[in-house]
Amino acid sequence: MTDHSRAGAVNWLYAAPALLVMGVVSLLPIGYTFGLAGEYHRFATDTRFWPVMRTTLSLTAVTVALELVLGLAMALVLWSPFPGRGLVRAAVLIPWALPTAVMAMAWRWIFNADSGVMGDLFFRLGLAASPQVPWLADATSAFWAIVLADVWKTTPFMAVLLMSGLAAIPDELYEAAAIDGAGPARRFWIVTLPLLKPTILVAVIFRAIQTFGLFDLVFVLTGGGPGGRTQTIAVYAYDVVFRYQELAYGCALVVAMALCLVLMTGLMLGVSRGRGAR
Amino acid sequence: MLRRLAPVLLIIVIAACGRREPDDGKVHIRYLASPDVGGFSKVIIDRLERAHPELKVDMVEGPAAGDARENMYSTAFMGKEDSYDLAYVDVAWVPKFAAQGWLRPLDALIAPEKLDAFLPGDLEGSRYKGKLYRLPVQSDGGMLYYRKDLLAAKGVPVPRTWEELVAAARKTRTPSIAGFVFQGKQYEGLVCVFMELVWGFGGDLLDAAGVVRIDEPPAVAALTALVDAIHVDGIVPLSVLTYQEEETRNVFQEGRAVFMRNWPYAWNLMQKEGSPVRGKIGIVPMVSGPGGRSAATLGGWGFAVSAYSRHPNEAFKVAEFFASAESQKLAFLKGGILPSRKALYSDPEVLTAAPHMKDLGRVLAGARPRPTHPRWPRMSDALQMHVSAALSGQEYPADALKAAAVEIRAAAAR
Repeated sequence: MTDHSRAGAVNWLYAAPALLVMGVVSLLPIGYTFGLAGEYHRFATDTRFWPVMRTTLSLTAVTVALELVLGLAMALVLWSPFPGRGLVRAAVLIPWALPTAVMAMAWRWIFNADSGVMGDLFFRLGLAASPQVPWLADATSAFWAIVLADVWKTTPFMAVLLMSGLAAIPDELYEAAAIDGAGPARRFWIVTLPLLKPTILVAVIFRAIQTFGLFDLVFVLTGGGPGGRTQTIAVYAYDVVFRYQELAYGCALVVAMALCLVLMTGLMLGVSRGRGAR
Repeated sequence: MLRRLAPVLLIIVIAACGRREPDDGKVHIRYLASPDVGGFSKVIIDRLERAHPELKVDMVEGPAAGDARENMYSTAFMGKEDSYDLAYVDVAWVPKFAAQGWLRPLDALIAPEKLDAFLPGDLEGSRYKGKLYRLPVQSDGGMLYYRKDLLAAKGVPVPRTWEELVAAARKTRTPSIAGFVFQGKQYEGLVCVFMELVWGFGGDLLDAAGVVRIDEPPAVAALTALVDAIHVDGIVPLSVLTYQEEETRNVFQEGRAVFMRNWPYAWNLMQKEGSPVRGKIGIVPMVSGPGGRSAATLGGWGFAVSAYSRHPNEAFKVAEFFASAESQKLAFLKGGILPSRKALYSDPEVLTAAPHMKDLGRVLAGARPRPTHPRWPRMSDALQMHVSAALSGQEYPADALKAAAVEIRAAAAR
């Protein structure tokens, strides 16, 4: 046995406990889910599947897009030095550190029809006729309530990811661009954005996967209503398995979700590679 | 040191997770219930353990939300675990639990004539495919609360029909006091509210022959009435679409509504000292529409015996003790829990403590269970969704119920 292959064997040995744990808590349940899944023909007749899918996809698209823009702005601000930056950076992370279900309860109070802060705010700004605005009673405003709550919570996460990308951009490039006469806006477009692209891609994929599986926020804030218009695929899959006891079809929904995520991720990677080659 | 001990500790913790009965020579009967707020369950258990020294009852006080407890029971039963010997089940869970084979039929354990003492609706809701699966302990039914003072001020009589309710609400409401509030959020409570009106208008959801009738004219008329109450008559604020029981009660209790649909639990809370509407409220059975009879959706709880319990006979003994007249009277007097036994609604001691029990007895005598179908959760969700869509103006009532009927028929056929 050569030294090299012995080192390889030892490495595998060290990794074995972690691999074992991963296998037991992750791969095994996933495999089990695939094994239980069935009744795929029901996708064709299920009147709920496509509406739920549409809600989930639009929620993902809108939320991730908003988060990217706001997260980028936040990252740029937090990256430039100013007094008390460490404190501000820590404070910004608070929404992300809060458990979603707890935070969703708070948002439910904020959007409360009778005594919610949001209605009062709109009333004081002259945007609503009365402080009692039933935000969650309307399909459109309930959708945007979820978007707002999710963006509020996860933008800091996006910002932290993007900041790690900013850290990897060498200062010399900015200096060179400045010497060549590029202003701050131009420096952002020609230096920051292109070099940040790989990080943006990772961040967007991360967040898209998370938002696609959004459950707790919707479950607590709207329960999928009104009229089922804010029900996401994760909430629906939960109902199918635990409330309707339709295990096979519920697992099929989960498999469909996984396939969607693989497709979505593949698409994003493909688009970015295609652009990169040009 | 700690690092070396950690795996050992982990194994001990894992081993301790399985249910092992304490070695005290008694039969332990375990069940899950909501937090024992009034403390009356503990009193009943004390009495039971004195009467049956061989039994020990372990009450697990779970979450207050019924859905959460339903899931905890489901999870344990799906794994065929004997974590719970008894299940304290809502009337709506009976068909699902029974169809899955999670519950033990009780017919052999109790004499049929003993069952006559219970309210008919509670008993009907405890049966699935002709077999008894639950001993009713607590009854519950929806009804109409009204503000005596506000009606009297305008000389308006207590409404008995939907038309009268709309007229009365129009006369008595003000910009700051809504006419009528109910549970309008998309959840099980909305179906309870809606079914009361469907029955009241002479319609039905799933009749005895298993025919889905929710898209027929009486049901459409009921939904149209409810939608118009919000969007045409303006007696119901749009915010009811976000209300569950507590939001509804808060609005009514703060004096911001003339009429309210709610369950009996609200009565005691609104009659408490410091409540702005104390002594100003009355209750009647829900109003009816043309061609129908007033109806109440039956709620209510009872004990079922788990199919996986190792002590089914002892478990049933506990269920019987909780369902006894003495225990139910105690639960009512200490905790306001409504009895499932008919006789208690004319019991002198009960009536002295709570004169409104006579009216309540009338409401509950007409209470009807939701359809006993194992796929009820899916049917209910379809109905919730489309009724909610109609109330929020996304669908027309007739279309909403047609769509709901298609989904309910598909669920029934599967």
